[in-house]
Amino acid sequence: MYRQWIRALPDEQRAAIIEAGETAALSKVRRALRLLQTLEQKGPRFEVELLSSQNLEPVLPYLQFALSCLPSEPQLHLAPLDDIEGYVARPAESDRLLHARVVIWRVEEVLPEVLFPLSHGFPDQLLGRIEQVLERVERLVSLHRKFAPGVPLFISTLPLPSHLANRLFSSQHEAGALAAIARINSRIYNLAGARGGVHVLDVADWAATQGAAHADVLLEMMARQPWSATGQLSFGFFLARSLRPLLVPRRKALALDLDNTLWGGVIAEDDIGGLVLSHDFPGNVHLRIQRELLELRNRGILLVLLSKNNEADAKQGFDSHPEMILKWEDFVVRKVDWNHKHENLRDAAAELKLGLDSFVFLDDSDYEREQMRQAIPEVLILNESGDPLQILRALWETDAFESLTLTEEDRQRHHDYSVRAGRNVEGHNDDLEGFLRSLEMEVTIEHIEHSNLERVVTMLSKTNQFNLTTRRHSRAEVQRLLEQQGAIGLALRLRDKFGDQGIVAVLLAVPVPEEGTLNVDSFLVSCRALGRGVEDALWSAMLEEARRRTYHRVEAAYFASAKNQLVANFYDRLGFRRDAQNTNAVRYVLDRIETAAFPPWIARSSVNHAE
Amino acid sequence: MPNDPLLTVLIDFFDLPPNTQSASITQQTIAAWDSLAMVQLITELQRTFSVEFDLDEIQTLRSYDEIRHSLEKKGKFSATPAAPML
Repeated sequence: MYRQWIRALPDEQRAAIIEAGETAALSKVRRALRLLQTLEQKGPRFEVELLSSQNLEPVLPYLQFALSCLPSEPQLHLAPLDDIEGYVARPAESDRLLHARVVIWRVEEVLPEVLFPLSHGFPDQLLGRIEQVLERVERLVSLHRKFAPGVPLFISTLPLPSHLANRLFSSQHEAGALAAIARINSRIYNLAGARGGVHVLDVADWAATQGAAHADVLLEMMARQPWSATGQLSFGFFLARSLRPLLVPRRKALALDLDNTLWGGVIAEDDIGGLVLSHDFPGNVHLRIQRELLELRNRGILLVLLSKNNEADAKQGFDSHPEMILKWEDFVVRKVDWNHKHENLRDAAAELKLGLDSFVFLDDSDYEREQMRQAIPEVLILNESGDPLQILRALWETDAFESLTLTEEDRQRHHDYSVRAGRNVEGHNDDLEGFLRSLEMEVTIEHIEHSNLERVVTMLSKTNQFNLTTRRHSRAEVQRLLEQQGAIGLALRLRDKFGDQGIVAVLLAVPVPEEGTLNVDSFLVSCRALGRGVEDALWSAMLEEARRRTYHRVEAAYFASAKNQLVANFYDRLGFRRDAQNTNAVRYVLDRIETAAFPPWIARSSVNHAE
Repeated sequence: MPNDPLLTVLIDFFDLPPNTQSASITQQTIAAWDSLAMVQLITELQRTFSVEFDLDEIQTLRSYDEIRHSLEKKGKFSATPAAPML
């Protein structure tokens, strides 16, 4: 999970983390935590509340350690044991600062009767108790949404009990422990699927893959803490991985090799008939690799083909091999030539307007992986061995592409970027405005509200290039900003001749104490809508809205990041004057609000005024 | 560091000075040795020495000497040469 981050650490810290991870010893974990504290560059602060029916206090150092490796600077708030609803139904102001609330519960506390069914009215009375637990789960979610609606809630599934007598009988009845757990978990999955902001922490899945090795009956009886040392550490990393999407955007593109990866053999040498790709072993391994890759594509990960071949040979493999799952067109960019792969990857990144740290690289050749590692350290190397089975495992186990949700934009991404990659080729067209007009763009300006909030927060977390301040607001922070009297939150939705592109630009502005003055907190445009003038469209709408609300002055800022050079002079172009600046930041003022022209090549459809 | 795996574990665990004498390691003398630390220490000992403690033994693990005695009974303790530390 943290391979790439760890490589950049000083030797002492790196060694301490590795030792803690390998030994699972508490003293080593504490030592690694102490050393991480001394780092100058820590991860972002990460406020996590833990509500649990089991005793998590002894486990906290392990959780702290695993979350630190995201990297983050975790602040863990552990509620009193068993006080789950009491904690959730608490209108605390501090909820606003939480990044995640995690509920961890077990059948041992939630429904202990099913462990002793014949002593508790098996089966009818027990079935009634199961219903009560289902209601409890629903009530918990309602309470959370009432008192802390902006905070992502993670509810654990119930793992099967490690210690249960008469398992055989238990499995035969719907009032048995195993069926009860299945029903409760099923309700938890339903709730998470149905509502934004509610997620599953699938402890049942974790415990199943850990097996009995994570359990310790002595500690369970002694302290209501059921896990061995390795179990505690493993749970820490499982928790970190589950919460990770809140902090770390997933990688957007996978650049991969062809020969001995998508198929066994080398097309230029073996010809079509000699390639290993079939339903029989070992060709089925490559077939499975292709299925996994197609699934990634369909989830919104862009595939880029990097192959040292003659393009005609490579294409023939796609066109002629009867078992191919992936099509030539499933790759948004194809670089099939004899250039260095890192050069081709840089070119692909430029064409797609993606940062190099959005890329993952997959190649069977040790040489190619090593060269990529040295040439572009930002690129994550997916696999550590060229063996096809190891490649498959790397695809199964990587967290680089994981996400909690799937948006319509994700499903459309392959199509959108294919169009864009093609467009860049056309882009040599000198008549830029003519080209833009040919796209038949139409935008809708929306106020940020419940229905588009998720996309806005996603954009805030992901957008790097056209992003003036790179403020990674959480959902709760955006809501807090917009609750201020006079705040303006706008989102721009783009349609063009290729279809609905979704929300591609966002602007947040809040009033400052100085009378009639608005401060632009965030202004960003998705990288797939760059160069099309949507920022001017959104700015025009923003000024109109500001005038409508009788503002007469605007303040703004540009904070330089590693990626946003593109907009270093953006506010100069909009007519702001520079008020103050240092190496990393420029503060701007616009002393008078006038109207700004909407780009003539963009049509504007109705304004949504629902607030 | 001492050539005694149990002493090493206890010094690391309670963050004691490296020259701490084993006889001075008892629950009475170490303020941090509370019930939470006890749970964590048992986890640490079980992991390091690949042992499981009986219920009776748990009540007696209140000092270096007592822990050592338990480990010796299980054949899991030898001061020399140093047992390989994970």
